[in-house]
Amino acid sequence: MSNRRVSGSLESEVLATLWAADKPLTSAEVAASLGDDLAYNTVQTILTRLHAKGAVHREQAGRAHAYTPVLDDAGLAANRMRALLDKGTDKAAVLSRFLGTLTPEEESTLAGLLKRPKRGAS
Amino acid sequence: MQTLVYLPIALSVVFGLIVGPVALRLPPQAATWLISVGGLIAAVGSTSSLSLLAFTLVGQNPVLAAQGRWSQSALHHDSPVPAAVAGIALIALAVISVRLLRSLIVRASAMRDAHLLSRSLATGDQELAVLDEAAAQAYAVPGWPGRIVVTSGLLRRLDAGERRAMLAHERSHLAHHHHLHQTAVRLAAAANPSLRQLPALAAWSCERWADEDAALTSPRGTVASALTRAAGADLFASPGVVLAAGAIEVDHRVRALGIPAPRLRRWPLVSVTLVLLVIVAAVGVAMHDTERLFEIAQRAYLATH
Repeated sequence: MSNRRVSGSLESEVLATLWAADKPLTSAEVAASLGDDLAYNTVQTILTRLHAKGAVHREQAGRAHAYTPVLDDAGLAANRMRALLDKGTDKAAVLSRFLGTLTPEEESTLAGLLKRPKRGAS
Repeated sequence: MQTLVYLPIALSVVFGLIVGPVALRLPPQAATWLISVGGLIAAVGSTSSLSLLAFTLVGQNPVLAAQGRWSQSALHHDSPVPAAVAGIALIALAVISVRLLRSLIVRASAMRDAHLLSRSLATGDQELAVLDEAAAQAYAVPGWPGRIVVTSGLLRRLDAGERRAMLAHERSHLAHHHHLHQTAVRLAAAANPSLRQLPALAAWSCERWADEDAALTSPRGTVASALTRAAGADLFASPGVVLAAGAIEVDHRVRALGIPAPRLRRWPLVSVTLVLLVIVAAVGVAMHDTERLFEIAQRAYLATH
């Protein structure tokens, strides 16, 4: 139980390291960044598990593998929508047309999300 | 009954006044429990007093008196509580009910928002969900399982040690169910206005608790620098169930990390616990006295029927 929790938190640290980097990292680089007490093998195991779960993308880098974090489906879709919106010249028009295509359920989800307290509130 | 029934109300005010200064001198874990459980006891105690006071008037309602087989005139005659006081208690109870209901609705909708957020992250069994946003944010979303949500902007701003400290901080919020403590104090504050500063106190002590937990596995200086860097960005403190890192008086928290964690000192804890015990005892005795009052009224009813 506690072992699993520890490995869960290591998984978070490895993932956080990949997100913080601006380029793909090899196991050795992740292990070096996490420092001292972490064995290379442990990091390798965690990266393999993350890859199996689809949380990271793996590519060949010389003799080793290099890893980048993967956006989840929602994140990917949001990125695509963002890019499309940025391409348009009249954002207000695009947004209002987009709103017109939403079902009542989607509209209430959106309204709920907008109501969520954002930064600055206390 | 005459004076004892007012004691829990008076002592709940005393608790509200002393819990803040006392909590600041305790380790954050003890402070959090004292604030939340103490707040609940004070709120339940004062509300019980109001109920007992109000019932001496409500009991004089003819329909209720007939059903309970007690004499309404005897009750009217023997009640040590002036009708005006009982009336005020009744009005106060009505106001409290509305406030409690409102607080529950706000809390439930915040829980639902957290649940929706957690579900939309869809990261399977993974503890950490990363939002690819430039703004620096980190928060814990309670649930089954709870999740830590961090933006990529914040992760890039922290070094490896600071990231470990930040994750440990958020993990502490989830592991110790800090949102339940915050729910408890919000309900207590809704039931008793003299406890209105408890939510802010509990928010502070939960953040300090998570800071101290992070300092178990990271150097105190690293926890402090993670806090300072995160606070330079636009963190948000959400009033809902989402627990935000930082935002709440980061300066004070950094200073608290600059010195060793406070030790558990006995006298402040004992003094507040004593106040709470007296509240519980006074409610017990007042309940017993009220029961006696109604027994007398029942005997009077039987004598005339």
